[in-house]
Amino acid sequence: MLEIRDLTKAYGDHRVLLGVDLDVGAGEIVGLLGPNGAGKTTLISIAAGLRRPDRGSVRIAGRDAMRHRPLTARLIGLAPQDLGIYPTLTVRQNLMFFARLAGLGPSVARRQVDSTAEAFDLADRLNHRAETLSGGQKRRLHTAMAVIHRPKLVFLDEPTVGADVASRAGILDVVRQLAAEGAAVVYTTHYLTELEQLGAAIAVLHAGRIAVRAPLPEVIARFGAAGVALRFAGEVPHLPGWRVDGARLVPEETVADPVAAAAQALAALGARAGGLAGVEIVRPSLESAYLAITGQPGVAQTEEVVDALAA
Amino acid sequence: MLSRRSLVVAGTGARLLLADPAPIIVTIVLPVLFGAFLLPSSRAQLRQSGIANATGAEHLVPGLAVLFAFLGVSLVGTLFFREHAWGTWDRLRASSASTADIFVGKLLPLYACLLAQLAVVFTAGAVMFGYRVTGSLLALAVVLALFVAVLVAFGAMLAAVFRTMDQAIVIGNVGGMAMAGLGGALAPASTLPAWAQAAAHASPAYWTLDAIEDITLHRAGLADVTTPLAVLAGFLVLFSAVAVARFRAEDTKVGTT
Ligand SMILES: Nc1ncnc2c1ncn2[C@@H]1O[C@H](COP(=O)(O)OP(=O)(O)OP(=O)(O)O)[C@@H](O)[C@H]1O
Ligand SMILES: [Mg+2]
Repeated sequence: MLEIRDLTKAYGDHRVLLGVDLDVGAGEIVGLLGPNGAGKTTLISIAAGLRRPDRGSVRIAGRDAMRHRPLTARLIGLAPQDLGIYPTLTVRQNLMFFARLAGLGPSVARRQVDSTAEAFDLADRLNHRAETLSGGQKRRLHTAMAVIHRPKLVFLDEPTVGADVASRAGILDVVRQLAAEGAAVVYTTHYLTELEQLGAAIAVLHAGRIAVRAPLPEVIARFGAAGVALRFAGEVPHLPGWRVDGARLVPEETVADPVAAAAQALAALGARAGGLAGVEIVRPSLESAYLAITGQPGVAQTEEVVDALAA
Repeated sequence: MLSRRSLVVAGTGARLLLADPAPIIVTIVLPVLFGAFLLPSSRAQLRQSGIANATGAEHLVPGLAVLFAFLGVSLVGTLFFREHAWGTWDRLRASSASTADIFVGKLLPLYACLLAQLAVVFTAGAVMFGYRVTGSLLALAVVLALFVAVLVAFGAMLAAVFRTMDQAIVIGNVGGMAMAGLGGALAPASTLPAWAQAAAHASPAYWTLDAIEDITLHRAGLADVTTPLAVLAGFLVLFSAVAVARFRAEDTKVGTT
């Protein structure tokens, strides 16, 4: 559905994209990840036809997106990162406008407005001015406006910012449903668990390129470094294959299964493990994989701390 | 020109204007109010300049209508800058509406509003101040329709050239008032000092009021006002051309809501 090739973009002499390749197929959800300023929004703006790249091509449904603009625009639904709604219009008028702009006839548009408002939990707000909505409701309206015409290619740039737990689940439901109906979805977020819930494929934008593009389990298996540390009160014992790091004993090489590694180490230490104060375990996760890919390993949060004294 | 999508944009544009009608109402109320203040002095001025049974409305009504219509220039800028402030500009551009659809759709409702504003002011002038036309009403309508098109094009040009809403509004209002004043909206151009009369020719207001004066006092029809109409058409082409040449849809603009 979306084929991006060798996309390059600089703002002045600040080079943001250095040759991005990205394919998103029909029915596929791709989670586009990357640190702040990596260029995710820039990439989406170019793919949606809002900015011109310095070099490279964007094909949508097999057509050059820049040359066949009105045709490809009809296939696209875009929810930009910054909120974009008409505050003085009602929720219904906002939705209706974008449904009609996308070319839906009046009666189809009306039906779409009702069902989309239902899906985004805005049905009871339809006749209120958008400026009277809460922040999370505005966000939902903003996202709803992007998918009102059931586009074949959807760009959602951080759609869940400011949404509460229930709204977030609602938005994820809609995204899954769009994909189930065959839409290609590009989804950016800084909440990695959303991508696990969506079963999304992962694309990490780092240093101007797509550093990794793979299904979620594969990303975790390849990059999700596990970690383990044994924490001691008092003197830290020596153990072959492990090194002392402050009050902790950590393996010299990365381990595949942190729990098994900890158990083996404790068995080898035997009585010398008497000063053990706790065991820290980092399981391989999208977060640890993401941090490893973007060159920030070790920031991953310790997921499990077993306090030996309490146990 | 009028694609279905430009009409969709226009429908929403009209809703946005009506949701916030204060600026339009001001351009109607102020000229009527000022008319009531200024009628006696306008009458004295016209009689002194040789129009024996002048009521004062002959110059005052078109003058005030044109003066306050210039407030519409900054409204054109607002149309575009508010889209940026609301974050909706990029959404419009990402939709399947073309840039031309967006332009036509946004400008059309305001054009209709400004034209309606002039119609209301002229009608109020007839009812309240006894404004009468000796020439062709059709000619008057054509002159006003073209004048409003020039105003809208001027506003679109400012929106294309300036980066912030404040710049466009200040230049629009100051430039508009200067053009209106020079063009004879405050006092008939023939009473202005010689240098101002020379400069007046650069103002669309001058040609508009010149044509209206002929229609009001000298029984002019469409054929008698072709020169001012041609000059106004020239302004329309010039402002539109600069607007189109300078307009970049992807420019970031700074607007306040
Ligand atoms: N209009 C612009 N002019 C100049 N520089 C820009 C512009 N837009 C973005 N940039 C720069 O390009 C880089 C990428 O920005 P972009 O918004 O694409 O990042 P992002 O990955 O979406 O970040 P975030 O996670 O914060 O949303 C940043 O360094 C930013 O400063
Ligand atoms: Mg971004």
